[in-house]
Amino acid sequence: MKKIFSFIIVIILLPVLTIHAAITGSIDISAVELIRGLFTGEDPNVAIIQDLRFPRIIIALFAGAMLSVSGVLLQSVMRNPLAEPGIIGVSSGAGFMTILVLFFFPTLYFYAPLFAFIGGAVAFLLVFSLSWKSGLNPLRMILIGVAVNAVFVSLSQLFSSSGNGVVQAVSVSTSTLSMKTWNDVQIIVLYGTIGLILSIIFYSYCNHLALKDKTLKNLGFNVNRARFIVAAVAVLLASIATAIAGMFTFVGLLIPHIGRALVGTDHKALIPFSALLGACLILLADTLGRTLLAPIEIPASIIMAVIGGPFLIFLLRKSDRIYGN
Amino acid sequence: MEIKNISFAYQDKVIRLKNIESNIQKGEITTILGPNGCGKSTLMGVMTNNNRPMQGDVTLQGKSLSSYKPKELARTLGVVHQDNHAPSDMTVEKLVYYGRLPHRTTFTPQSDEDEEKVKWALERTGLYERKDMAIDALSGGQQQRVWIAMALAQDTPYLFLDEPTANLDIYYQYEILELVKQLSEENGLTVVMVLHDINQAIQYSDKIIAMKQGEIIASGDPNEIVTEDLIEKIYGVHVVVKDDEKIGKYIVPIGI
Repeated sequence: MKKIFSFIIVIILLPVLTIHAAITGSIDISAVELIRGLFTGEDPNVAIIQDLRFPRIIIALFAGAMLSVSGVLLQSVMRNPLAEPGIIGVSSGAGFMTILVLFFFPTLYFYAPLFAFIGGAVAFLLVFSLSWKSGLNPLRMILIGVAVNAVFVSLSQLFSSSGNGVVQAVSVSTSTLSMKTWNDVQIIVLYGTIGLILSIIFYSYCNHLALKDKTLKNLGFNVNRARFIVAAVAVLLASIATAIAGMFTFVGLLIPHIGRALVGTDHKALIPFSALLGACLILLADTLGRTLLAPIEIPASIIMAVIGGPFLIFLLRKSDRIYGN
Repeated sequence: MEIKNISFAYQDKVIRLKNIESNIQKGEITTILGPNGCGKSTLMGVMTNNNRPMQGDVTLQGKSLSSYKPKELARTLGVVHQDNHAPSDMTVEKLVYYGRLPHRTTFTPQSDEDEEKVKWALERTGLYERKDMAIDALSGGQQQRVWIAMALAQDTPYLFLDEPTANLDIYYQYEILELVKQLSEENGLTVVMVLHDINQAIQYSDKIIAMKQGEIIASGDPNEIVTEDLIEKIYGVHVVVKDDEKIGKYIVPIGI
């Protein structure tokens, strides 16, 4: 019951927030004007909104969905409630690789998502292999992840502070979503859709991974293959989101935990729910960030943490459950 | 199942099993006994292909364990480990359905046979009324039965149980052992288990394998092999072995 109710809420919330984001800001119009303008194509205000606000909204929605689902998948693969692309270095690895390549070869800008994916995968493999010692020790994994993350963040800062214009333009440490173009939208929508569909196709792998390795092995289940596929999808989602929208730590931690408290640990419901809720949250954070103190923009990641943190604590206190334990 | 000249060591190279020779008769209940650290669970690991021996071979139905495909093996032998974990909000029925994994692929829908076997496993373990309950709402004995039900749903002729009675009070211990006995008698299941209680082993096993420090000290019919000397030798505990007309053979520990 709580599950269905939660789904209904986010499904209503998503279009409401999207329309709200489209009509509020320095140009204020009504929802009716917006929809009429979209169909007739004659309203100049709507044309401006289409060019400036729509890319930003779409990117916020996709980045939120992708980072949240990436968090769900990483937590399942690593069997660790703290695994999150921003904490264990996947996002910063993706960001660093993008900066590194563009520092030396600025003309390769078009291939940035590919390098981001490679960087994210390298970071993930580093954390996974360094913390694997006949099984994953949760504490060791988080410590190694934090260390890997710190190294990549510092390296990124080193290169972007001494870099050329292209590198500064893709600076991944910022998370404001201004200055996004339809080109960015194409990339994030293409890879985001692929990643999200794959995560839903392979949801049962995530469920299986909740059991112990030896139990799965005795069921004839190929644990390593499942782990590889789920991890690859997680890295794809986090890397592309980071390459386009910048670093959003915390969302991959926050949304899956809220999701588990509301719809349970079955990934059949948890993955779609996290995608929807993550999209809502980042969009809301971005919209608030650009309207609260306009014309000053507050980065969406800051707003998100301010809203999400207390809410997570509230839910955890209420349910006394962390990662189904 | 034939166990031929098995030796085994983990990565630390300490020999845990030395030249183990044994065989498991079809349809029987075999119990492995021995003190902590004697290699009981390690031997069970070798018998279920979780531990790869450095020497020797285990053959099951005439075929070496290492040549089985993972799913094929999972359709032949089921294992219930000592420590298990599932998400606390998972329902009993969902968990038991995992036992059907070896019979299907990731994307095939559940078949009627899956449903039938799961229902049978739930009924057999007395969990059918509780099938929609969350795992963590069950008692320790019921949780143990859920894991056994999962192995039953696997529909295998061989069942391996690593200390199925650990951490259960005496009622649940006997409940599990009675279940094992029924499964063996009524469904022809071949059962291999590790137990700590010598009297339970005598009472419920067709064969006992007694181990110490990685070697088999004695094996065979409990009524023949369990003697005061044997228990003294493997556990270092003085016992008196009694034979009662009504209850059969039993031991009483008297000191060390």
